[in-house]
Amino acid sequence: MDHRVDRFVLPAGAVATLATLLVVFYLPVGSVLASAITAGSRLTVDPLLTVLGDPFYTGAAHSLFVDPLGVSGGIGRWLGAGLPPVGFGLFGFTAYQALLSTVASVVVGLPGAYLLARFEFPGRRFLRSVTILPFVMPSIMVAVGFLAMFGRTGLFNDLLGLVGLGPVELTFTLEIVIMAHAFYNAPLVTRLVTAAWESVDGRRVETARTLGASPLRAFRDVIVPQLLPALGTAAVLTFVFTFMSFPIVLALGGLQLATVEVWLFDRVQNLDITEAATLGAIETALSLGLIYLYLRFEAMKLQSGGESRGLARERLVDGWRSLADPRRLGLLAYGAVVLVLFVGPLASLVIESVTTPGGQFTTEYYGFLLSQQSGSATGTVRPAQAVSNSLLFGVGALALALPMGLVVSLVATRERRGSRLAEALLTAPLAVSGIVLGLGMLQTLVFGTEILGHRLTVTGPVAIVAAHAVAGYPFVTRNVTPALGAIDDRLVDAARSLGASRARTLIDVQLPLIGAALVAGAAFAFAISIGEFDSTVLLAEGVDSATMPVALERYTGNRSLGPNLGPATAMGTLLLAVTTVSFVVIDRVGGRWEQ
Amino acid sequence: MTLGVAITDCSVAYDSVTALDDVSLSIEDGEFFTLVGPSGCGKTTTLRAIAGLADLDRGTVAIGGRDVTDDPPESRNAGIVFQNYALFPHMSVRENVAYGLQFRETESDLDDDARVTELLELVEVADLADRDPDQLSGGQQQRVALARALAPEPDVLLLDEPLSALDAQLRQRLRVQIRSIQEDLGITTVYVTHDQAEALAISDRVAVMRDGRLEQVDTPETVYREPATRFVAEFVGDNNVFDAVVGPAGSRATVDGVSVPLPPEYGLDSGEPVTLSVRPESITVDGSGPETNDGATLAATVDTVEFLGDAYRVHCDWQGRTVVVRTGASEPPEGDVTLRFGADDVSLL
Repeated sequence: MDHRVDRFVLPAGAVATLATLLVVFYLPVGSVLASAITAGSRLTVDPLLTVLGDPFYTGAAHSLFVDPLGVSGGIGRWLGAGLPPVGFGLFGFTAYQALLSTVASVVVGLPGAYLLARFEFPGRRFLRSVTILPFVMPSIMVAVGFLAMFGRTGLFNDLLGLVGLGPVELTFTLEIVIMAHAFYNAPLVTRLVTAAWESVDGRRVETARTLGASPLRAFRDVIVPQLLPALGTAAVLTFVFTFMSFPIVLALGGLQLATVEVWLFDRVQNLDITEAATLGAIETALSLGLIYLYLRFEAMKLQSGGESRGLARERLVDGWRSLADPRRLGLLAYGAVVLVLFVGPLASLVIESVTTPGGQFTTEYYGFLLSQQSGSATGTVRPAQAVSNSLLFGVGALALALPMGLVVSLVATRERRGSRLAEALLTAPLAVSGIVLGLGMLQTLVFGTEILGHRLTVTGPVAIVAAHAVAGYPFVTRNVTPALGAIDDRLVDAARSLGASRARTLIDVQLPLIGAALVAGAAFAFAISIGEFDSTVLLAEGVDSATMPVALERYTGNRSLGPNLGPATAMGTLLLAVTTVSFVVIDRVGGRWEQ
Repeated sequence: MTLGVAITDCSVAYDSVTALDDVSLSIEDGEFFTLVGPSGCGKTTTLRAIAGLADLDRGTVAIGGRDVTDDPPESRNAGIVFQNYALFPHMSVRENVAYGLQFRETESDLDDDARVTELLELVEVADLADRDPDQLSGGQQQRVALARALAPEPDVLLLDEPLSALDAQLRQRLRVQIRSIQEDLGITTVYVTHDQAEALAISDRVAVMRDGRLEQVDTPETVYREPATRFVAEFVGDNNVFDAVVGPAGSRATVDGVSVPLPPEYGLDSGEPVTLSVRPESITVDGSGPETNDGATLAATVDTVEFLGDAYRVHCDWQGRTVVVRTGASEPPEGDVTLRFGADDVSLL
């Protein structure tokens, strides 16, 4: 290849990627942000004030925006009245449930990190890699699993019944929402803290001990400072994720427990786009602030220089006597919690999908998935089409996310400037919820928009694929960048000196060496697409573009079904199978190079 | 004679750190040329500039009389071997060596397969052709890397510390082999090393570099015996360097009150400050050397002695400074000693 052409291959790819992101991400999100501060073509703060000044949204804090001068008087009256309870509105409630969810995730996640980092037992490596699983699990599927486990006729109440307790009603309570959030985010806490714990250099602890520190003191002085940044990172991420959580709250909490996201969705359904966009803008601003906090925590992570030798692990079971050890007893109890909270919902999902309400075995629900007709009792989505849509969109999103992710990785590994740009590109989608992106796409691409004099209108399916690609490409990049960075620059230099152009070097040397990471990234992106609900539910016009998660929500949302979750669990199980295959690919193929 | 490689006025800076500062070098066709210096001196940058792997801020590079300054690495026909071998891990030994053949027409009338076999035989690893790189020892990997670089018949062979990762014995054996292959092929070779002994042993000419500049470019013998600068004197071998003042006659100088002879050819003016260098093996301890009237005589005390196998390296204390002496005596010197050297042993920096 002519080297003048060759030189522009990567810049051209980077420009194409940026242009794509500009059209399918920044333009839609920008339009949402813009509609919060414009009316017609005029700048105004009215939409913002309408939301922020409404006690429904901001509770007692609304007077800050409506009557700032009266705030001090208000606080005085409140103190005088003896601190009566104060409402904080929708935003307050959203933050409150996110805070509770974060606490629950940390409480459930930390013992897991202790177990994985400090004990050796069969299956430890498997458990460690399973902590990645929630990332690829469709949240609406998990919600159905929770209904199957903790619903009135669920496995949990059956178990309670066996010991003469219950039944408890958890459906549409804050408890089940928080448990589901813990299901998602406790593994994240476990994963990040375990990684930090394993990176503690054992020799530092030994040095502290020889200098006179007790084991507890060495733990406090050497290990804890290394764990805290990881814990902070995990907690902030959990808070962001649960603040923006949508399908779980929608399916398990309903409108009674609406968070900002759920309410935003409801506003769109009621065609109150301006209020929805304003909510989205405020939410995005809040989450951007939180993401900034997260990046600060990331930067705080202690980099231990040089080679590090991990801490030695204890055997979990070391003869019968070791079982009397209080730490091990505690971990045993923890195991029971894990079983109920993590295994329970997934097992229930599968069990319910082959069980009639009467307890008989049935394959009827799976037969339903193949049917082309929409059953009157199960909403209007045709299940077979939802399955094929999901697969089709998944492949489409993959075809877009893979090259985008690869290009961003190539940019990221080139220079320091490149890596900063890439980091910014990768973090932005994290701060924008799927609902906001979906809403923005509706406002711009689907309803039609003017770009450089050309009118651009895309259909729902195209918009869905684009939204999925935006959600998926950061996972490609996060997998590929380390693999690409690990390639010795001199391999590239050697290939170039032997006569290979940049493009040939990429094909002959770099791509084969990052093949595994690329496959893992692809599996991630595919799984993300298959499970994506937030933007899909807005973009799937009518019933023709509905995907499996959207169908799943329609099935659970239809209360006329009563306690029968059958069709939903069957589709949920199918989603679980796709997710599990993706996970196995990520773990087996991707993990091979991690070692 | 045509020039193998010509570098003219080259400068390279990384993030405002100057790696190469206005360097010019002419390397003859078929010459074995070595760049030597401490880490960060710019020797590897010079090599990368020749290969087209470093971006020049200024200057030109020519290979075989052709200006390649604006050519990308793949058009320069330079074969490069790195310290860590940089074999493609996903290709077999044979595929590694064959890789460059697809891009270049070689003069050899052999087909690619036969050419690969020929090269693997040349570097004595023909029996490993179907192995993967990770199944090879360091020395074997380095031989394969050499074969790979030679396969497309490059105009210049660039070797970047190729032996540094190997143990001492293998290093010495391989460097002899590299030199003999280079002589057989008559290929212009630029060799980078931080090991001055290696540089002296293997090269036609040596360039000593420091802080991105050339300190001295000459044959190994001249660089060793007549170092041009204090830095070269101290870096190549462990010369004793003295600051002195030229005496009234111009034939002697004074170091801390002790008279030291000067070689006659310099013709220095009285009172001129000079820097002298004396090699450790030129200094005799006690009566072990010929006693001359016009030599220098230093009364010193032995500090530490290192046994080198064929000699002792003796660190002596003379008037608060260390003088290093190398002696072939069968017993290590002890206590107070007399050190002597003659006018011919002194070189002026």
